[in-house]
Amino acid sequence: MSSPCVICREVTEPMTDPTVSDEVIPPGGSGNERATASGNSISIWLWRLGLIVGLLLVWEFSAGNLFNEFWSSRPSLIGARLLALFASGEIWRHLDATVSEALLGLLLGALVGTPIGIALAKYRRAAEIVDPFVMGLYGLPRVALAPMFILWFGISLLAKVMMSFSMVVFVFILNVTEGIRTVDPDMVDLMRTMRAPKSYILRKVTIPSIVPWLIASARIGIGLSLVGAVVGELIGGNRGLGWYVLRAGGQLDTTGVFTGLLVLMLVAMIANQIVFLIERKVLHWRPATK
Amino acid sequence: MAARDEMTAAAAAPRIVLDNVSISYATPRGRLPVVDRVSLAVDRAEFVVLVGPSGCGKSTILRAIAGLNATESGVISVDGKTVDGPPEHIGFMFQRDTLLPWLTVRGNIEVGLELAGVASKERAARVAALLALLRLSEFHDAYPAQLSGGMRHRVSLGRMLAYQPAVMLMDEPFGALDFQTKAVMGRELLRIWEAERRSILFVTHDIEEAVALADRVLVFSPRPARIIAEHRIDLPRPRNLRTLRASPEFTAYTSAIWQALGDGDPT
Repeated sequence: MSSPCVICREVTEPMTDPTVSDEVIPPGGSGNERATASGNSISIWLWRLGLIVGLLLVWEFSAGNLFNEFWSSRPSLIGARLLALFASGEIWRHLDATVSEALLGLLLGALVGTPIGIALAKYRRAAEIVDPFVMGLYGLPRVALAPMFILWFGISLLAKVMMSFSMVVFVFILNVTEGIRTVDPDMVDLMRTMRAPKSYILRKVTIPSIVPWLIASARIGIGLSLVGAVVGELIGGNRGLGWYVLRAGGQLDTTGVFTGLLVLMLVAMIANQIVFLIERKVLHWRPATK
Repeated sequence: MAARDEMTAAAAAPRIVLDNVSISYATPRGRLPVVDRVSLAVDRAEFVVLVGPSGCGKSTILRAIAGLNATESGVISVDGKTVDGPPEHIGFMFQRDTLLPWLTVRGNIEVGLELAGVASKERAARVAALLALLRLSEFHDAYPAQLSGGMRHRVSLGRMLAYQPAVMLMDEPFGALDFQTKAVMGRELLRIWEAERRSILFVTHDIEEAVALADRVLVFSPRPARIIAEHRIDLPRPRNLRTLRASPEFTAYTSAIWQALGDGDPT
């Protein structure tokens, strides 16, 4: 390992350095993928549709024929369950719980992680001092903290939000720290020659520079915040998609388990799409997103 | 009467003065001298060009005048005030355009106006005037990524002019441009400067560009930078760069500067 201190590492090192964190992704990478996707998007969507239909058909007809459908349920049963959940309105109780927990955790993670990231990038010495502690906490499986969270915050909404927050906050800290280091020093110097106040430089140069990194963090954070919310629900609660999956599992209701998982997946996909739309709106100045 | 005398004295005093300035950089193997006892003065409406080998320390001198680099010894003053941090009314241009990519052409130029303290009501008219001056009017809503290199440099020049600097420090501002665009930018700069004269300190390693633009060319040694020759360019203004380059006087100046540089490859 070339550099023992991750937070205080020099900007000149390649950003793909796997020793840093696989949760730090340099902005811009996704832009190229999108360019190829939009180039022949109809064919891509047809392939996706074909793939999903094929997999569902294999699932539908192998369950009950090749093995007992108890083990895997089948797409038709899952679809019926989903409809029933919507029809009775029960789904909203669970969706509401899980989405609010994850969303609050994500927002709190962004609101707390961003200033910490800025501070760590700004005060290099302090960053060097706290680096092993931050990385230690980051490496700690937050799931193992769940019993403590229940102890501290009860089985309330707060416990799940904090669980979600603890998963997300490091993503923002690490990405923002890295993002600040990519701020062009010539731009800052130019502002200084015009005697720009520090707050002006922060507003016009620093914050816009880290927006791509914030969006990358949000994208990774969606999945993690849902993990946090679900783990919180598994430990204690009486509603939410995680709780629904756990209860179904306890009753050996495989259809219920798969239905819960499907809804969770759909939530993540929709949230990701929302981030994509925000990205296109906010980063329209970048040639890659044009 | 006394006040009037003072004003004349102030007008006659040089805008930028460097007195015996030395600068060195800290490196792991000790201090590396970059600028060695340089003294120079730039008058109020004077266009001074610094030439010398790449990496000789010319840029460091410019950054020190702008208050971005500290000096080791000697004194720099702008408008009679000793430089300690960025002085007032300084415009700086880097070799890279350093535009803010998230702002449009208009937004980038407004940065200069805002920092000059221009009231928000007046900004729109000032932006329009500057864009017309730089022949960029159609592009006010374009983002830098949508512009060519030459256009980005014009916006960068526009941002500097918007700041209304009394002193323009230009560090190889057209160095990254192709030959033709560079010539066009040089012509635009002269046109603007000849209309409204301010002090310009311009760094380049292109000797023809230096002679074409300058009132005075200062030739620097390889690092650590020392002034080894000074040439006053007595070519008439306004200058027509196309006819100028073919004139015998122009050639005489360029070959004299080549000679001062020791006929070595200046790049």
